[in-house]
Amino acid sequence: MKQREPETTETKEPRGRRIVIRRAYDYSLLFLTFFLVCFGLVMIYSTSSYNATKYYNDATYFLRKQLIFAVGGMVLMVVVSKFDYRITNHPLPVIKIKPLTLLYLLCAVLQVAVLFLGENIKGAKRWLEIPGIGSFQPSELTKICVVLLTAYLASRAPKALDSMWGFVGILVRVGPLIALVLIENLSTAIVLAGIVFVIGFVTSRKKGYYVAVVILGIAGVAAMIMAEGFRGDRIDAWLNVETHPKGYQTLQGLYAIASGGILGKGLGNSVQKLGFIPESHNDMIFSVICEELGLVGAVAIILLFLLLLWRLFVIAVNAPDLYGSLIAVGVMTHIAVQVMINVAVVTNTMPSTGIPLPFISYGGSSLVTLLIEMGIALGVSNQIEYRE
Amino acid sequence: MNLVKTFQKRSLLLVISVISIVAVLLAVRLFYLMVPGSGALSAAAQELHERERAIKAERGKIYDRNGVVLADNMPVCTISVIHNQITDAEQVIRVLCEELGLSEAYVRKRVEKYSSIETIKTNVEKEIADRIRAYELDGVMVDEDYRRYYPYNSLASKVLGFTGSDNQGILGLEVKYDFWLRGENGKILTLATAHGVEIPDAAENMVTPIAGNSIRTSLDVVIQSYAEQTAMKVLEAKGAKSVSIIVMNPQNGELYAMVNVPEYDLNHPYDLTEIYTAPYTEAELTQEKKTELLNQMWRNSCISDTYEPGSAFKIITATAALEHGVLEVKDSFHCPGYKIVADRRIRCHKTTGHGTQSFVEAIMNSCNPAFMEIGARTGIEQMYETFRLLGLFQKTGIDLPGEASSIMHKTEAVGEVELATISFGQSFQITPLQLMSAVSTVINGGTRVTPHFVTEIVNNAGVTIKTIDGCGETGVVSKETSEIMKMVLEQVVSEGSGSNAYLEGMSIGGKTATSEKLPRRSGKYIASFLGFAPAENPEVIAMVIIDEPQGLYYGGTIAAPVMAEVFEMVLPYLGILPDDTNFMVAE
Repeated sequence: MKQREPETTETKEPRGRRIVIRRAYDYSLLFLTFFLVCFGLVMIYSTSSYNATKYYNDATYFLRKQLIFAVGGMVLMVVVSKFDYRITNHPLPVIKIKPLTLLYLLCAVLQVAVLFLGENIKGAKRWLEIPGIGSFQPSELTKICVVLLTAYLASRAPKALDSMWGFVGILVRVGPLIALVLIENLSTAIVLAGIVFVIGFVTSRKKGYYVAVVILGIAGVAAMIMAEGFRGDRIDAWLNVETHPKGYQTLQGLYAIASGGILGKGLGNSVQKLGFIPESHNDMIFSVICEELGLVGAVAIILLFLLLLWRLFVIAVNAPDLYGSLIAVGVMTHIAVQVMINVAVVTNTMPSTGIPLPFISYGGSSLVTLLIEMGIALGVSNQIEYRE
Repeated sequence: MNLVKTFQKRSLLLVISVISIVAVLLAVRLFYLMVPGSGALSAAAQELHERERAIKAERGKIYDRNGVVLADNMPVCTISVIHNQITDAEQVIRVLCEELGLSEAYVRKRVEKYSSIETIKTNVEKEIADRIRAYELDGVMVDEDYRRYYPYNSLASKVLGFTGSDNQGILGLEVKYDFWLRGENGKILTLATAHGVEIPDAAENMVTPIAGNSIRTSLDVVIQSYAEQTAMKVLEAKGAKSVSIIVMNPQNGELYAMVNVPEYDLNHPYDLTEIYTAPYTEAELTQEKKTELLNQMWRNSCISDTYEPGSAFKIITATAALEHGVLEVKDSFHCPGYKIVADRRIRCHKTTGHGTQSFVEAIMNSCNPAFMEIGARTGIEQMYETFRLLGLFQKTGIDLPGEASSIMHKTEAVGEVELATISFGQSFQITPLQLMSAVSTVINGGTRVTPHFVTEIVNNAGVTIKTIDGCGETGVVSKETSEIMKMVLEQVVSEGSGSNAYLEGMSIGGKTATSEKLPRRSGKYIASFLGFAPAENPEVIAMVIIDEPQGLYYGGTIAAPVMAEVFEMVLPYLGILPDDTNFMVAE
């Protein structure tokens, strides 16, 4: 990608001094994202080549599929970053509807469609088969919508959020989307709820009722766990990972982590990826990173994510308006929650749930969604002006 | 448009701090899992990945007394396929069918079977295996291995025995000395994927196999093969069921030969020889029948079958009488052709009687009434005392499996009639080798010997780690008795019933025997001859046993000439030359 000089505008101040106003397009964030995606491709090749050879007789089968999404996603990211994020709320010329409203409706329709037409993979309907492209996960698109919608609603009337009713008002509008996701996919719903919660928390001057929301949220999750049999099993598997049959995948991941040591076995040298960890290029990819690159590599990846989150934080703090700031907060929360849950699951710190590691785990919908979000966040940074 | 307020920035700082703290906690958790807590988990992982593959140890060799190899190892290969690694199944099937001569259906079934590893064929010759390896087919494994190989095929088959598919001893010396021969298998620890496929170039731990120890035997290939030919000739000429020849050193129990024809091919021990299958039709040869016949074929009757020793046992009766001072060489006996014992009239084989005869003449004539008399004089207690000293109540202790025990009357059950029959070798059973071992003691000056084949155990570096000697207790029989017995037995061959074993210029001692098999009057006999040379200082003792000959069945008539034939070759071979030759050499 060709690095572009920041766009500049020149004005004349009194006393004839030339003032340069620059746009703070966040190239370090762009580079961090680019690096993580490339690292992800390397790890996907490392983890998937064995199974790809075995089942598809082509070591690069998964790598090539992911590469297409990575390239497409990064192009989209750069394109999106050049638009002003505020256009999401300007009515479109002919149909007089805001793009955000359109996105909301699209997400709702797709989420409903997936419940009826979705492909049933491993006991859950989360995938829509789109001819020619492959399968697509509507809940990923919903993530973008939830970030934008919540940020928009909160920024429009921040003072309303000082009381609980203001937050409830946001929930009423965002809630239906989350509920549609929740039917089939608890873990994504938790990520979405996290985004709404953090945006509300940041906006509001009064923090008291968020404690209540946290307690309510925990109670809600607990109720879900009790209600659903297979998730009850997950708790058992978590507590007895070495003996429980459902703990197999986690145990294999732990084996991989433990055999990594400080410096790891070296890139490509994992044994656990050779059929022991099922689909090691998916949610469990972090355990193979640990095995191959050791504690040093694993901590380096966590630090890279922290750096990325720090850049998003900087954008949120310096954003030209609250809407832009809250978009950055939403994206930051999305990535942070997924990284934390993924690492926690892989290390058996919490019960198993299917959350991919952002930018690194295999999966086209997830990667493209994240890159679009990064594009929007970069777009916010692009609107920051400062004087020199 | 709302701007970002300071309190919102502070909230944001709180959020990023919480995220950082969680990240640090997760990093700590990772540290715990990967450094201090990794032991048990990574050990479990290692165990999960490791596959153990045995490397067979080379089995020790078996040598004859001159260092000729009797049992060797041939490098062979095992061909197997790994389903997951096969890239071109059709080619694999085609090549394996062609090279191994297997049917396509057989190979296809194994190639297409979804298993971690499937053996196609074992014991494949190295040459063929190398050709298969040259195709470099994916998923085809060629593992090197050893197969037991007997260069002389059927030679000494009943002695050597053979090994099973895992190279473990099954019969004969192979099983008796399995502990020494087998060595210690090594192993390779390799890493394997979840599908059991070995990971190439993964670090391998290897435990080197330790080759087995070799055994050096007293068997002599030349004597054994000559004796086998001789025995086979007799078997065919006499239509006998089996013929055994044992050749031993009477001084120390070292066995030179143990023949038990028909022998079988040690390289194909499960193929019945024609002699055994001939009497049956294909339909009659059920699996059960085949097993029975195989056991018959493998049986070493020299040590596993007992028989009534007959007249050869008179050597023992005479020794007992001499040892207990109830018989002197000058004693004379009268034979009217029978002897009345208790209420029975027991006949001599010469029904007209031998008349008056000296002790030497009595044994030369193999006169039954004379020996009944000698037995009666000795009494059962003294007889049994000598039997015991000569080892007739126990196994010889030969280093072969499957030795039978003697079947003797209990002392209290022996009446006059039983004593009389025991005196000329009937009404009890011993193995031929027991008789040979007892007679050896009589003629070697009274030293007990344990018949044995193995003389030395040599480790794979060529160092002798154990020597085996067959000499036991001495003074079991007095020197005087020994001298008398050698003298009279020499007379048996030079002038008596054993004259058919006589060789010009050789001093040979011996005794004939003809035993009627049980049940009596079945017309089945065992003709045997026990001989030794030189009579004055025996260096070799031998026995010929012809089981169920057709037609003539007297030991003196059919077994003695065989002994002559054996000695004619064996004596010069062992450096025992005719007296006149000695004389000529001395000149």
